Amino acid sequence: MNRRHFVSLGASSIAAALGACDSFGPKRAASLLRFAERKNEGLERWLFTSGSRNRVAADARSSGRAFPRYFVSDSMPVWNEAQRGVWRLEVGGAVRTPLSLTLDDLVKMRSTTQKVDHFCVEGWTARAEWTGVRMSELARVAGVTPDAQYVDFQSFDSDYHESWDIDSALHPQTLVAYGMDRAMLGPGHGAPARVHSPVKLGYKNTKYLTRILFMPTRSGGYWSDRGYEWYGGV
Amino acid sequence: MTTVGGHSLGGADSDPELTPGARGEGERAPADAVAPPRRVRHHWVVRVTHWVNVVGLGLMITTGLRIFNAYPAFARKGESFCCYPFAGKPIPDALTFGGWLAGARNYHFAAMWLLFVNGLVYVSFIYLHGEWRDLVPRRGDIRDSWEMVKFYLFARREHPHQGKHNALQKSAYFAMPIFGALAVLTGIAIWKPVQLAPLTNLLGGYVWARYWHFLVMICLVLLSVVHVIMVFAVDPYSIRSMITGGYDETKSPEARNARPFFWRRPMPASPRSDGGFDT
Repeated sequence: MNRRHFVSLGASSIAAALGACDSFGPKRAASLLRFAERKNEGLERWLFTSGSRNRVAADARSSGRAFPRYFVSDSMPVWNEAQRGVWRLEVGGAVRTPLSLTLDDLVKMRSTTQKVDHFCVEGWTARAEWTGVRMSELARVAGVTPDAQYVDFQSFDSDYHESWDIDSALHPQTLVAYGMDRAMLGPGHGAPARVHSPVKLGYKNTKYLTRILFMPTRSGGYWSDRGYEWYGGV
Repeated sequence: MTTVGGHSLGGADSDPELTPGARGEGERAPADAVAPPRRVRHHWVVRVTHWVNVVGLGLMITTGLRIFNAYPAFARKGESFCCYPFAGKPIPDALTFGGWLAGARNYHFAAMWLLFVNGLVYVSFIYLHGEWRDLVPRRGDIRDSWEMVKFYLFARREHPHQGKHNALQKSAYFAMPIFGALAVLTGIAIWKPVQLAPLTNLLGGYVWARYWHFLVMICLVLLSVVHVIMVFAVDPYSIRSMITGGYDETKSPEARNARPFFWRRPMPASPRSDGGFDT
């Protein structure tokens, strides 16, 4: 370690110590909590397998109208074609062929229908049968490059977005869903299309999807930047 | 101690701090033989893990209740749940910690390691060091527990004879690490219901695993509350033994014939009698 490095390290640790001094309790614990979160993420990523499945009995009841509707905008986000033109899903970033898909294009792709649980960070679960295109299928069609380690799911619901690790994004139960319980997705559940996967907590499952960006680094997320853990794996 | 002309030969033997009671420490007697009087009631590892446990368990319970308040019910959406009569009623804020859901979760997922490692240290220590012998259930414990209940209810005059702990205490202290392990298992089941689906399914699925986690917490709270009440009501002298390790056997509940809230204050030791007790 050279001298300048040492001095800057010393200065920053003093600054950190001073920063910790002006608050007690929760704020002072923040660095410890962040450390624990990073270590937990390491363990969770080690536990993750693409062979894991959330299995729900075929005759299990869907939550139906009891499935909570949720968004961060002041009012329910609805894509206004007159203002914004035809809705398109952009797939870009670290891919060989960026895609720009209309809802028709998406529906024509190889689809998957699965009845799975939805795990909310609040502790409730809900069930629905989702229809959509596997993220792994979209990644295959777009030709994802080895640079892609993370995926950002962006929406037209205010600035809502959440970035994921690539393994969770390419899990076989991670869908870009346009159908719910054998009907087209309603505006309360993220129409025209949303991410849905049982391997991540609800807040990671971006609704009102407009853009999927494959990236070499992570980019946080709406709730991850507000204190919820970034990984949010189930 | 070997001495020549009244002088000690030196070394550890001449340690002036060695009290008569501590002389037997070098050769450890078999557990069932009559043990020499203990200098320290609780080994320092037991004392440290006990207080770390207070902090860790306190954090886990209060942050867990804050997390629970985000959805103070158990039913899956669109379904009903048989077995929780207080659905929809949040726990009072004063009993929670973490401020909001994310804050509480961050504390919960950090403090779980403190409690988990602490539990491992404690259980391995008492296993390797022998303290487990004071806690492990034996034949006759049920009868002894019944005798303790009779004694506490004034249906029996004399305090039943006991070892380090009475039979009721013993079962409570033995149960504590078991409930701790169940809390970890049920907690993992609701943390990773997809990656560790077999564990969650074993507990009846996510909704039931969450319920078991809650019930295990209730059991831990009940055990702890009764423990603290009994410490103050029956054996307040044991508080010192969990801090410094020191304990005066002449003030033990058995020596004082102590029932909860009903015990006589031991007489101060006088130089003319040994311990100040009528014999």
